[in-house]
Amino acid sequence: MIEMQKLLELLKDGHSRTVEMLAAELHTSAEDIRRRMEYLEQVGAIKRIPFSQGNGCSGCTGCEGGTGCRGCMPADAAHNMGEMWEVVSAEDR
Amino acid sequence: MSASIALLGQPNSGKSTLFNALTGLRQHVGNWPGKTVEKKEGTFTYKGDTYSVADLPGSYSMSANSDEEVITRDFIASGKADVVCILADSSQLERSLFMLADYAGLSAPCFLVLNMADVAKERGKKIDAKKIEQKLGIPVMLFSATDTKSYDAFYATLERALREKSQINVSALEAEYRKIDGYEEIQQRISDCTIPGYTPMWLTVKTLEHDKVVTAKLKNALPDEVMELIERQTNGTESAIAAGECKFRWIDSILSGAVTETKTKAALGRLDRIYTHKFWGKPAVVLTVLLGLIASFIPALPVMGIGSGVDAVNGIIRSSMTDAGVSAFLTGLLCDVLIQSLSYVIKMLGFVFGVTLVFGLLEEVGVMARISYVFDNTMGRLGLQGKSVMPFLVSFGCTMGGAAGARVIDNWGQKVLTIALAWAVPCGAAWAIIPMLSTVFFGAGALLVIAALLLVMILHMWITAKIFGRKLVKTADRCGMIMELPPYHKPKWGALMRYVFGRTKDTFLRVVKVVLLVCGIFWLLSYGGKTGDNSILERFGLAIEPVTKCFGMPWQLFLAFIASSVGKEGAVGVISALYSGGSIGTAFTEAMAGASRAANLNELLLANVTRPEALAFIFAITFNLPCVVALAATYQEIHSVRWTARIALYYTVSALLLGCIAYYTGMLIW
Repeated sequence: MIEMQKLLELLKDGHSRTVEMLAAELHTSAEDIRRRMEYLEQVGAIKRIPFSQGNGCSGCTGCEGGTGCRGCMPADAAHNMGEMWEVVSAEDR
Repeated sequence: MSASIALLGQPNSGKSTLFNALTGLRQHVGNWPGKTVEKKEGTFTYKGDTYSVADLPGSYSMSANSDEEVITRDFIASGKADVVCILADSSQLERSLFMLADYAGLSAPCFLVLNMADVAKERGKKIDAKKIEQKLGIPVMLFSATDTKSYDAFYATLERALREKSQINVSALEAEYRKIDGYEEIQQRISDCTIPGYTPMWLTVKTLEHDKVVTAKLKNALPDEVMELIERQTNGTESAIAAGECKFRWIDSILSGAVTETKTKAALGRLDRIYTHKFWGKPAVVLTVLLGLIASFIPALPVMGIGSGVDAVNGIIRSSMTDAGVSAFLTGLLCDVLIQSLSYVIKMLGFVFGVTLVFGLLEEVGVMARISYVFDNTMGRLGLQGKSVMPFLVSFGCTMGGAAGARVIDNWGQKVLTIALAWAVPCGAAWAIIPMLSTVFFGAGALLVIAALLLVMILHMWITAKIFGRKLVKTADRCGMIMELPPYHKPKWGALMRYVFGRTKDTFLRVVKVVLLVCGIFWLLSYGGKTGDNSILERFGLAIEPVTKCFGMPWQLFLAFIASSVGKEGAVGVISALYSGGSIGTAFTEAMAGASRAANLNELLLANVTRPEALAFIFAITFNLPCVVALAATYQEIHSVRWTARIALYYTVSALLLGCIAYYTGMLIW
């Protein structure tokens, strides 16, 4: 089996992994995993989960135009939470 | 001789630096016809010849994922450029040569510039450009766009590429592609003139990659049965993944023997080995959070002292106002409403500051991201996807943020369940008042109370997931996520403190407004004029007290509980009003009538509320519905009145139930 298929197969067990853990399991480097993730994202097999800013708040009065709500999620919060990608299922594609 | 050059490269390949250095001021910026994509062109002269340069819009590859990519490849295929200069980042060639691999098969001559050679050298990479050149069949050079001395070599390479009309040797790449099922079948049916400028190999690979623009063009050029064949052979993402894998293998074969570096093996840091450990991960996180809570109490305690100082001043002001013959109403308004509310708010601020600081710090250094990793699998057990962990973490700040954050969950049932569970997470307002009240009643035992609350929170979420999950979530195969954890780094104290002070200030302003308003209203309602007279509110309170006592709460605390549904700060306003004025019953009246006029609020509260009652109250308001605005936000996200009402009712009832349990547990302890 080819590397990127293997990567997607691994994730089917439901356990999340860090890039480094994937690299260790697939006997390669983290950089190698990253370039393959980049490709998988391009072809729509995985997608980045858009957390943090921008999804802001819609319900409170302290907001200025959707972004950077002062009442709930401050604009500069959750900036160091890393990134997450999820596998796009066949029916969502 | 004059020629036109096109610059091609992924973002961050240093394309703009090269473009600016080549053209200087002789450039103009416009738009590509009919598109909003920026078009940058310029000219330069070298040895008396004029060259025109086009900076092609940056993109990942040559696939039609966006306007940029389509513009770029149409420009190249149209033959407008005599030569294409492909840029790659020397410091990460395995990744950035992807553009070259995707370019291979276009007819326009090209050469490869390995930019940022200085960075690669610093990282201990030795790159043999000659070896790469032999394998590729096009001029290849090491280059630093920022180094003016390397431009002579650039011009020389450019001239050579123009002279040789060099094209990439694709035989090794094509051999890889041939291994893909269906490649040859499709490739044989496409010719060099099917779409001018593109080779059959390139077009075939794009069909495998489901390139919509190429497929549409082929539809016009090829008979229907060929298109049907293509459709059959390229079903699913497998063919695209296989094509990508060929490119990576080819890149690796090009680089093998040409790049030497001191390889660093993928290794987890010492802390990560603990946090990502199958068994020790959870205990480590729990310990981190508990230590964090203890640490956040440290800056809070001196501020509690200031709050108590305000109480003392309040006593002095009260007695001097009474001595000066100021009316009881005015004295009450100033002392019972204004100053007393202020003393509560100040006491809260210490905790807001402490909690924001400690948990902001944990996020800043990168620990919070590990916490989200550790709880990923727990989400699965709740019937949720791993990404639900983020809305939960956000809910510690504000439930509205959590509800909005749940937008990333596409499945409606899972979204509703995520929001329903996020309600159980104590929000920022709870983190202000709960530690404060706990400290007032239990002193250092407050830490135990907080720990118990967190434990109950987890249980609550688990039970709630079981209750609602059955209707909302179908068991489905779950795929794990890939996480890129941020590296640990030293905190930027300046930015962190600005964030913490900003948040504390915002909370102060909001809380002052709510507490003053609620306190004012309840004080007026309970103001009986003369001490000893029963106000309407008190009569009402005493009437419902038999019921509220079942939940372990005296009527004053029960009203505070009701107020906390509007906003948790409101509860403090009610307490402030009802445990100060002349409406509290004999115990209080006696205390006030006695010599100890300066009796501070803490003592009054302690004299009138037993510890089990306080515990019941603390549990009830923590797990009550977060606030009305969160209720509205929830409706906005899930678009179901029924489910919003169901969740709200569930939380009100379960909060009272939890209060009841806490009360009887407290009775057993004290």
